Amino acid sequence: MQSRSRSPFFNDSAEGVKSAVPIFLGYFTTSVAFGLLAVSAGLTPFEAVFFSMSNLTGAAQFMAINLISAGAAAGEIIVSVALLNLRYFIMSASLARKLGFKKAYRKLLTAFGVTDEVFSVASLKPGRVSGSFMLGLQGFSWLGWAAGTLAGVTAGSFLPRSLQDAMSGALFALFTALLVPEIKKSLRPVILAGAAAGLNTLLYYKFQISAGWSIVISMISVTAIGAAIFTESEEQASMESVEGENE
Amino acid sequence: MNKIMIIIIACAAANYLLRVIPFFFSGGDNIPPYLKRFLDYMPVVALGALIFPGIITSFPQNPAAGIAGVAAAAMAAWFFEGLILPVFASIGVTWFMLQYF
Repeated sequence: MQSRSRSPFFNDSAEGVKSAVPIFLGYFTTSVAFGLLAVSAGLTPFEAVFFSMSNLTGAAQFMAINLISAGAAAGEIIVSVALLNLRYFIMSASLARKLGFKKAYRKLLTAFGVTDEVFSVASLKPGRVSGSFMLGLQGFSWLGWAAGTLAGVTAGSFLPRSLQDAMSGALFALFTALLVPEIKKSLRPVILAGAAAGLNTLLYYKFQISAGWSIVISMISVTAIGAAIFTESEEQASMESVEGENE
Repeated sequence: MNKIMIIIIACAAANYLLRVIPFFFSGGDNIPPYLKRFLDYMPVVALGALIFPGIITSFPQNPAAGIAGVAAAAMAAWFFEGLILPVFASIGVTWFMLQYF
């Protein structure tokens, strides 16, 4: 037993793993759902687990299997996933500054495990954050996501046909469960999500655009308009009025 | 290689590029406010587009089953934390609707 080891690598990694325990639990349970749904969407158990191991991303994986089962083309799926995950670019930019890693292998390794939750924990941790800490934090989070999918695909193979049919709607339950907490906070998400739902339905039924591209078009146009209309305006508006008075 | 594996690998590559590029080219300290809002709003907007009309097209024989499932999920998510309960509530309600309606 190496429990007496005091090396900084061991200590920092262990601390990282400890910080990842709540993430592990959240990822594991969500990922069980992914495993179940991926199999009911027609992925093999191997594909489902490989998906989680290689992508380590939440809603985008659910969206991808939704589009796969809707028969969307590869291009539509990849563009949709990249769009939904554009935020990783900003998170990585912010984390890279905070971490200040010099070694290329650290950067390459840490980048792989950037997720919303890991970003929050690492960003809010006071002081210097070491590579070993990130390894523990991200490694354990990754394990939760991968193991959850494995558990889900295993459970899925025992389920009766009628239940598997009912599960093809569970994906939308998950999207709804992600959306409801946002809606409870303020009115803005209701308008944004509602506009996107309306536009997407219109594009799909009225203009016969395929499922993937109509999602891409809806996402870009509603977000672009929303970001132009809903500015964080309190401060800016008062600043502008002050400038106006100075003229 | 089949289509699904190609999609998975391409998505993995896209996700990794988004995550790794800023670690090597960290020039942009100041994100323009418009871009920041764009990225903030994207996930919520995406959810709206993901739920409709997908929930209707998923059950062509019985769209009400899907809608009832989502309604059950929304209620469960409103009153309880977490994602698992809404998902199970939805599966239960949808299963019931598919069996008996």
